[in-house]
Amino acid sequence: MNQHDDARRGRGMTPTAWLTRRAALAAAAASIPLIGQRRAWGAAEPIVIGWVGPLSPPGGYAEGILMKDAAEMGADEINAQGGVLGRPLQIVYADTRGMPAEGRTAAERLVQENKIVAAFGEFHSPVALAEMEVFRKYNIPFMACDVWSDEITAKGYQQVFRNAPTISLIDTAIGEWIAAVGFKKVALLAEKNDVGLAARTAVAEQLNKAHIPNDSVDAETTTTDFTAQILRFKNATPPYDFFYSAFSEAGAYDLIRQAKELGMCPTPKCGMYNSGGEATDPTFWQNVKEAGVWLVTENVGLPQSGWNDKTRAFVKAFTAKYKAEPPGAVMESYDGLYLLADAIKRAGDTKPEGIIHALETTQYVGVRGQYSFATDKDPPWHYHQFMQAPLTLIQYDKINQTVNDAPILWPRKFATSKELYMTPA
Amino acid sequence: MLNYLLVQAVNGLVIGVIYAVIAAGLTVIFSILKIVNFAHGEVYMMGGYFAYFAIALLGVPPMAAIFVAMALAFLLSVLFERTLLTPLYSPTTERKADYGILATFGISILLRNIAIIAFGPFPLRPPSFFQGVLVWGPIVISWDRIFAAGAGAAILVALTLFLRRSAWGQALNAVSQSRESAAIVGINDRLVYTLAFGVGGALAGGAGALVGPIYALSPTMGLQPDTQAFVIVILGGMGSVGGAIIAALLIGLSEGMFVALFPDPTRSLAYAQAFSLLVMMLVLLVRPKGFFGRVHLAME
Amino acid sequence: MRPTQLAGAALLLMLVLAFPVLVNPYWLTVGILAIFYAIVTASWALLVGYAGQFSFGHMGFVSMGAYCSALLVSAAGLPIPIGMAAALVLSGVVGAVIGYTCLRMHGPYLAIFTMAFSEVFRIIALTENEITGGAGGLEVTPLFHTRSDAPYFYLGLALLAASLGLMSWMTTSRWGLFFRAIRENEQAAAAAGVKVVRFRVLVFAIASSFAGLAGAFYAHYIGILTPDVGSVDQMGLVVAMAVIGGAESLPAAVIGAIVVEFLVEALRAYGEWRLVLFGALLLLTVRFARNGLLALAWEQVLRLGPVRERARPARRPAAS
Repeated sequence: MNQHDDARRGRGMTPTAWLTRRAALAAAAASIPLIGQRRAWGAAEPIVIGWVGPLSPPGGYAEGILMKDAAEMGADEINAQGGVLGRPLQIVYADTRGMPAEGRTAAERLVQENKIVAAFGEFHSPVALAEMEVFRKYNIPFMACDVWSDEITAKGYQQVFRNAPTISLIDTAIGEWIAAVGFKKVALLAEKNDVGLAARTAVAEQLNKAHIPNDSVDAETTTTDFTAQILRFKNATPPYDFFYSAFSEAGAYDLIRQAKELGMCPTPKCGMYNSGGEATDPTFWQNVKEAGVWLVTENVGLPQSGWNDKTRAFVKAFTAKYKAEPPGAVMESYDGLYLLADAIKRAGDTKPEGIIHALETTQYVGVRGQYSFATDKDPPWHYHQFMQAPLTLIQYDKINQTVNDAPILWPRKFATSKELYMTPA
Repeated sequence: MLNYLLVQAVNGLVIGVIYAVIAAGLTVIFSILKIVNFAHGEVYMMGGYFAYFAIALLGVPPMAAIFVAMALAFLLSVLFERTLLTPLYSPTTERKADYGILATFGISILLRNIAIIAFGPFPLRPPSFFQGVLVWGPIVISWDRIFAAGAGAAILVALTLFLRRSAWGQALNAVSQSRESAAIVGINDRLVYTLAFGVGGALAGGAGALVGPIYALSPTMGLQPDTQAFVIVILGGMGSVGGAIIAALLIGLSEGMFVALFPDPTRSLAYAQAFSLLVMMLVLLVRPKGFFGRVHLAME
Repeated sequence: MRPTQLAGAALLLMLVLAFPVLVNPYWLTVGILAIFYAIVTASWALLVGYAGQFSFGHMGFVSMGAYCSALLVSAAGLPIPIGMAAALVLSGVVGAVIGYTCLRMHGPYLAIFTMAFSEVFRIIALTENEITGGAGGLEVTPLFHTRSDAPYFYLGLALLAASLGLMSWMTTSRWGLFFRAIRENEQAAAAAGVKVVRFRVLVFAIASSFAGLAGAFYAHYIGILTPDVGSVDQMGLVVAMAVIGGAESLPAAVIGAIVVEFLVEALRAYGEWRLVLFGALLLLTVRFARNGLLALAWEQVLRLGPVRERARPARRPAAS
């Protein structure tokens, strides 16, 4: 060991030199915070808005990246038309990785370093809950985009709005639909994250209310082989006639394919549902092929019958740029930005009170229809919730079918399919 | 009920063969370099993507893509070994085992995040080797899985033959037993180390290419098989390829059985992985060398 | 200590104490998290760098302490300090048990065994979501209800000082010698009279208890707890911190944690490349500066935790 010591000693310096170096390091460390100061050059100072969401694991980075793309597109469009109040929009993106601690630091950074006037985005409820605390502390309006936990609006924070549906809205719809179709025994599989668990709980509640026997199983988000579990379901007596899955990670495709291969569902005897967004993502058909036909899923975008010009333009532009039709979460992100921009314009400035009031009275029409946010607290999650958030249940009946072409089953007022549920051929 | 268990068993064995290929690679690396390769899952992931892009961009037929994937995984592993693992052979490096863990850990972080940027976050799926599903009595299993198991078994046979019969294989074996003695006999140990890491990586990459059509390819797909591979290698005993194969089959089988038989259905799938981890922990306590492990040689 | 060293230390101390006032709340948050990681990393360095017990289960103890304190406070209504003390004790006891069960394991086996333990705990926390809130998150009572986070900073600093003080006292005492002896060659140490069993269990217990304490602090600071705290990713981050700072020296590990935490934040501008750069930095450090980038500097200047026993006139280690 001695030769190591000698070698290292030879590399050393005099104590004074070390002290000087260390003091310099300390000074450098202390100045890191100051680096963040920004100066606006040029004619108009930009309006800075923060975007939060998962862009790397362990967060749901696939959807997060898409949502970011949509936000970028929106920002480019707004700026091309002269910005807001004559000022360009600048969006700062923060990767929150699906972890609450990251959400909190990201939110702090956006407020302190980037001096945002508003924020939007997010995909994971616990992260949004952590971010909300920070935004509330600094009175920064926050448009929560693709987080479904009731808590987010139920907390009643003045700064927080949500343009996505909430669990109570979505899974009530699904549960009602299952009961309406008349399924007799339902198997539920949920991924072990905030979305999966909340979804599974809400649907099970609805089924229990309708006295439909059901069994729930939870799976790790990294699961890719469901064969054993599917076989266990398949082997049950009496047999299940519907399989509801709340799985949004990559394994969703495997789940759907394996269920089909093993003859569990979708079959004439047993239907299948997948919730979470994977079924509307760009690589869906490439991954599942025929197994995706007859699958039921939800679409949080507008049904095609309700499309307005903006929707058409957006879908066209997004598809052209990113080679895939935009799923609902993406539309939420896009509209989220526009809602904020519209609110700022109507408020005339970027003060939080103005933006909040403008959002409460908004009648903005976006790619998902006309927005309005409830101001009552009965029940608590109504507060600042977009109550008319579009939600339709669709069922694919052809391979490679796009989300917008798929027949709509529910709610009946938007339905394009005569039947409540198309039994697989 | 018996039919049901039979189906579970068959499926478990098929998965087990794939695990075996991955675990065999890990074992080879451990036997010779004496380190646990924490980046093994990421090489498996890269193998899957190599095959995918060979098919999609170069038009290579799916079966040939397996070889392409293995070759590229071999080269990638050699690259890492040459640049990052050479301190393992130097006498001035202390606690080589720790170094191996740290270095391969760093590689796994690097590869995983590069993959997200390079390949995009969305799951991809290469075309099937064989379409359709085999239905044989109560057993329902896709042809892709059968092919993967068969090809995996073939790879394992080839590996065993290589280790026993070829000159290089025997050199690998010799170095795994004793570096000094091998050097005395004239075996160039540096080349052997490189070869070992490369072969281990090629096995992982091959497994990745085989499962491409079965499971979705995603940048984080290496995490779960990684843990499984460790469990298997511990159970089979580090240093024994045969042990790894048997342990892999057992693990594949028992996982399926666990999900099938665990009384609380809500939790059965969730705890399946915890189950194999617990089994491994138990084995480590009772028989630290695993079922077939060789005497654990010192690291230095 | 020499006068220049004393002056330097005093200056540093003043800067640190004034930190919450000097920086904006964002950097204060980063600073508090850095303190959290510093405690975790220092305790890991004690276990791995000092005593040579390569554990990958450390974040499991952090997670355990976090959930323990969070649940005791919200379910049983205990005051937070009691919750945190309970977290410390629980983690310490479980750590001792793990240390005992691992006695026959070394190197990679130990690493994998402890990693499995951590994963099993994470899976349980994730699955038993009725109790733990699972992935949806567990709401945790915050420690302080002030507008500024400064109280957290000072508390964290106190915890860090206490844990560092205790661990440093251990390492500079005879025990430190025993740990290093066990690390270098366990059989020789045993032959020389070191009670290996006792010290292996002890170091596990101590390292784990501090990890649990840090976890409890984290839970009551962030206010919402998910099982991710105990994930392999987080373990990797701590490993990187220890390696980059210097795993064999506690103060170096602390500095490593602080530097890496600030660095990871500062790299946000690079977006997706952040973790790639981070992984590359880890690899470069491991490859070329094995004992850490900062270990040398610290050891030279303040002599708090020597990196290596210098060649001294031969002194026989006292029997334990």
